[in-house]
Amino acid sequence: MAVGPIHAGVIESGHFRFHVVGDRILHLDARLFYKHRGLERAAEGSTLAEGARYVGRACAACAVANGLAYAHACEECLGLEPTSELARARALLLELERIWSHLNDIAAVCAGVGLAAGNNLFAALTERARRLNARITGHRFLFGAVAVGGSSLDLDAQAVGAAREELEAIGREASRGWRELQFSASFQDRLPDIGVVGSEDVERLGTVGPAARAAGVALDVRTISTRLAYDGFECRLPERAAGDVRARLEQRALELEQSLEIARALLDEPVRPAPAAPGAVESPVGVGLVESARGATLCVVERDGDRLRRVRLRTGSYANWPSVAYAATDNLLPDFPLINKSFELCYACADR
Amino acid sequence: MLTLLRDLRRLRHSVALPRPDRGRSLALRHVDAGSCNGCEHELTLASTPYYDLQRFGLGIVASPRHADVLLVTGPVTTRMREPLLTAFQAMPEPRLVAALGDCALGCGVLGVPDALVGPVDTVIPVDLRIPGCPPTPETIATALLALVDRRRSGDWQELASREGDGRD
Repeated sequence: MAVGPIHAGVIESGHFRFHVVGDRILHLDARLFYKHRGLERAAEGSTLAEGARYVGRACAACAVANGLAYAHACEECLGLEPTSELARARALLLELERIWSHLNDIAAVCAGVGLAAGNNLFAALTERARRLNARITGHRFLFGAVAVGGSSLDLDAQAVGAAREELEAIGREASRGWRELQFSASFQDRLPDIGVVGSEDVERLGTVGPAARAAGVALDVRTISTRLAYDGFECRLPERAAGDVRARLEQRALELEQSLEIARALLDEPVRPAPAAPGAVESPVGVGLVESARGATLCVVERDGDRLRRVRLRTGSYANWPSVAYAATDNLLPDFPLINKSFELCYACADR
Repeated sequence: MLTLLRDLRRLRHSVALPRPDRGRSLALRHVDAGSCNGCEHELTLASTPYYDLQRFGLGIVASPRHADVLLVTGPVTTRMREPLLTAFQAMPEPRLVAALGDCALGCGVLGVPDALVGPVDTVIPVDLRIPGCPPTPETIATALLALVDRRRSGDWQELASREGDGRD
């Protein structure tokens, strides 16, 4: 059965070929790259600063994560080290992105089940989170907030106070909605034991991000991040880390709570514009690694003077697409939208 | 759950859109021709409690065969040119095409020429342009509501009834 590249809902373009017997999926062949724009090739020859535009626009849902991976790679090339102020501003942006993204993903799972109330509640919270992004950085998707060599984010005491309050309110509403979801039997019935990617599969398939953690694998770039302000960060895993749709949903809810805490703590003091500090060794190749809402995002930059010779972006979505195909096997076709939404990968991130 | 629904209904009052007394509807079909996913995220939110486009009779339908308006996002990649044309040709007439977002309008597009065809109007005729990177749900809602008004005034009929004009 062929599905796509145009889907029934408002979804990105991609083609799925299901091999089925009755309702049971034997094999899923995911054919992507309908959205390939050649961003990496287009960025070749531009200056390191200009390159951020190409990487940032690769995907709206991971604009900060991709941008940061690129900025870190460039700064490694240029021998720049982030100051503590810069690390704080950037970690804040990354968490703001994760917050709206996870809210959106929980809404998407509710939509996948057909639970309109849950979908609407979390979609409304996504809207609030995006409005907050616009108030803080001037853009709902935080476009242009990440630059190579520094941050221009400037929030005074009043602005950080207001943002903290809004995050608290979003957190309250989200946990209220989450509690309601626990009592919706028709919703909960759909989630367990479908789309399973267990801990062994995670290692075999190289699954990253919430999907790996939902299988009990404590893998998070934030625990080893030296360029961002994540001191004392520890992964939170769900009690029932079964690697199924339910575990991935619970993982998102856990991370949402944690991200709200981190963002609020980062907003304790005013955020001032901060440049990166020179002094480290310069190199022709730089690597940046950042935890996006979908998993570890890696960017490699090869430079020629101050110009880009080559740039490669391997996003969390790109790494996880094979896991979606694997998870779909042996499940029922009507469960696929739900399995797909529980990963909620970007096509744009993978296609570039 | 019912409490949640009641609370959500309040949200739409916080947005200044006109009352839903338009009496006509538009069925929308969306095609992603290579966007960054920003326009899709914003279009999705246009159907959520803050804006709630359904109350104006604006709904996303599953097939272009049921659609009055084709909403196209993205700079049209070489790989999405054919599917986009197929979707357009499957639409019943009269039909309209709306280019959603700066990429679809050909503004500030990033990419290499051999992967991109060009803005939407190089592939199919565009009747409505909604700029923004990405346009906010409010911008999308306002532009589509203006289209409903045009339809009611008969202007729309004139716009979209150009049969046999080589649009296929």
